[in-house]
Amino acid sequence: MNTKRINGLELERMLRNGLANLRSLEDEVNKLNVFPVADGDTGTNMVLTLENGIRFAQSRPEVGAYLKMLSEGMLLGARGNSGVILSQLFKGIFLELQKTGIVNPAEMRNAFIRGYITAYSSVIKPAEGTILTVAREGIEHIKSQVGRSTTMETLLSMYVAEMRKSLSFTPDILPILKESGVVDSGAYGYILIVEGMLKYLYGDIIKDNPGSIQPMINREHPNAVIFNENSLFEDGYCMEFILQLMNNPNYNRNFRLNSFIDDLKLFGDSLVVVQDQKRVKVHIHTMRPAKVISLSQEYGEFASFKMENMQVQHNRVLKEKEENIQKKPLSVISVVNGKGMRDLFLELGCDNIIECEDTMNTSSQEFIDAFKRTNAEHLVVMPNNKNVFLSAQQAIQLYKGSNIHILPTESVAQAYCALAMDIPDSRDIPYRLSQMKLGMDGVATLFQTTASKDFSFEGPSCKAGDQIALLENNIVAVSHNAIDSIIIGISKIADIEDKENCIIFKGYDVTDDEVYELEEKLSQSFPELEVTFLDGGQKIHHFIIGVF
Amino acid sequence: MKKYVIVADATCDLSEAFQKEYDIKVIPGHIKTPDKGEISILPGWNGYDRDKFYADLKKNPDAYTTSPANVEEFRREFEKYALQGYDIISLTISGGISGAHGFATKASQLCKQNYPDVRIACIDSRRFGPGFGLLTVCAAQLKQQGKSFDEVVDYIEKNKNKFHQAGWLDDLSFVAKKGRITHPKAFFGTLAGIKPIGEFDYNGLTTVIGKVKGAKKAYSVLLSYIEETIENPSEQIIFIAHTSRYKQALEYKEMIENRFHPKAIYINDVHPLCGINIGPGLMAAYYIGKPISAELSQEREIITKYIESGE
Repeated sequence: MNTKRINGLELERMLRNGLANLRSLEDEVNKLNVFPVADGDTGTNMVLTLENGIRFAQSRPEVGAYLKMLSEGMLLGARGNSGVILSQLFKGIFLELQKTGIVNPAEMRNAFIRGYITAYSSVIKPAEGTILTVAREGIEHIKSQVGRSTTMETLLSMYVAEMRKSLSFTPDILPILKESGVVDSGAYGYILIVEGMLKYLYGDIIKDNPGSIQPMINREHPNAVIFNENSLFEDGYCMEFILQLMNNPNYNRNFRLNSFIDDLKLFGDSLVVVQDQKRVKVHIHTMRPAKVISLSQEYGEFASFKMENMQVQHNRVLKEKEENIQKKPLSVISVVNGKGMRDLFLELGCDNIIECEDTMNTSSQEFIDAFKRTNAEHLVVMPNNKNVFLSAQQAIQLYKGSNIHILPTESVAQAYCALAMDIPDSRDIPYRLSQMKLGMDGVATLFQTTASKDFSFEGPSCKAGDQIALLENNIVAVSHNAIDSIIIGISKIADIEDKENCIIFKGYDVTDDEVYELEEKLSQSFPELEVTFLDGGQKIHHFIIGVF
Repeated sequence: MKKYVIVADATCDLSEAFQKEYDIKVIPGHIKTPDKGEISILPGWNGYDRDKFYADLKKNPDAYTTSPANVEEFRREFEKYALQGYDIISLTISGGISGAHGFATKASQLCKQNYPDVRIACIDSRRFGPGFGLLTVCAAQLKQQGKSFDEVVDYIEKNKNKFHQAGWLDDLSFVAKKGRITHPKAFFGTLAGIKPIGEFDYNGLTTVIGKVKGAKKAYSVLLSYIEETIENPSEQIIFIAHTSRYKQALEYKEMIENRFHPKAIYINDVHPLCGINIGPGLMAAYYIGKPISAELSQEREIITKYIESGE
């Protein structure tokens, strides 16, 4: 395809394709957002902005007339920072082309230049490392290469390629991007729009190529730590190019797609080859790029070309995994039982879980293993009963590590409250420890279960199969009904009239009906208690209840 | 003296009644919701039921987004008043949270090209939601008392860092997800029975300055905190704002009334434009007090003292 001129109708179709391309990756663009989020979600905002413009504009054969309405619609419909800047880019494009009926590549280039200049001037404090930088560098770096023979496809390919390169540098310019391991989301969104426009010119064939749409996360410079003279090299290169078949007699003019594919297969895999008249789009993973290049050059020259060392990408992922387990100031190790319980503790910020039945005892060895796994300046251990407390203590003596603190929690309910009271962003470790202590203090724990055998000691006696409730290892209620035993049990808690909150960890076998019945009876007997049910999923106890 | 208007963006969250009483012009923002799509919105419920709205939001937070008015919308609004011969004091949501201040500033430049005589002061309120609303009301009161454009601008600039938030946010997952809290990565999920105490930092971001176990203790800590930080309570309007915690807001209001006897106290709903980024767990009071210290160091000290005192 050698498009030299575009009218308003074609431009509209290109933009619709650009919008579709952006929309297909809207979520991915949203995910690139970094904290603090400026205005909602970048991908969504850019989609809304462009969509508004396209909806607002009526189809017109003159480029200028179409762009006038499009840019007005975008200015009005701009959403968020990225949307405002996008609308300004298009306003600049409109200003440049307002008197143009049919646009050629050189005029288009000038429009892209006017676009970024307008966008810069629209922002009070232009920040580099954003959509502004990418739109500027993308066109500035290629503007001198646009000549009389340049087609619209070449212009846009170069523009996209250059913007992608510029995008990969954004984390070096904006530290917040680097911290989050992402590139600038607005810039990425803009590239997707232009890329979609280009795809239209190619009859959308690029859409078929899985290699053409890549998540652009973590595209920082390869450094010597990631890849150096001692690195293994076994992943090869990812090559992606558009080969322009040439008519010049210096080239082999007898190009046959199938034999070309067969030849490429000798050099690599993950092969995708698509031909559109005199252009061939190729994606290949290979250890021998020189072979691929020389084979291709028999037939023509590269209209665009990209090659990446996949080992670098691979090593980077490995390195990031390693960095993610860097030393924290304080980590919490909790002993819990049940999948739900595990999730609840992880969600609250617990770093390491030891799974253990409530009535079983965690061995010292399990603690030592957990200490080794956890990489932190300070460790806080939260047991789930008194016996576990002892083995944790023993583990600390055996391990000889320093800065390990045991919080004397006697139930998961106490541990849960301790964790919830932590102030994780504080650098003051004694303060965090005292907060956790405050959290567990005054939390009474009631365990409800089925008696496994007849039992008689001080207090109520029970038979095997009875429903019983225990407070501090003493049976305080016996009943045929689990719910009733809880209600009686709670009434035995000291100072129950001063308590406000009741958190209930449901065991794995608790039914919705039981929960409903318990909720009802609690609100009748203890109307002042604020009750929260949590999915504990623990085995031995039907219910573990923290009251405070 | 030339007449002027006070214009605030919709994140000031002042209901129609406040807008009328204090003659405040509000510029709509935008929200996107699963049922209505993308709409332009002013503070208000737009047919939603408060508690149902927050319950739905809680189920599917990612489907809701917000964005401020854009440059063009600010410009049109400004030009409307410029045409009528007004000068304009524009107040916007904290620049630490949103780009609206930049948009308004740009719009004011565009407006001046068409109306060279208009004066527009674009002020970054450094607050959002009810704190921003209270600041706007205080400015509007001065205007009603006959203070000049410059006097009002001067008041806002000198006092905006004195607007406090004392309350709790018992579901931190929203502010963490939407970036409306400092150190968002540090905070997690719903905390059954535990009340994180939130105060504004310099940028108007809510910052957890302490956590308290149980509502009773939280009320008592908060009241002591207000006592130490508030200035001239009897001459103030105090706002209580909540997302889906009306019962607690009512209790809190009564306690504040009895202890501080403010000139007036209102319970305000937090409407969708702000609420989407806060979630259902907010219940807080907003008042004027001592200037907020850097990194909230003094405020943390005060709150820690009362949390540990067991009062």
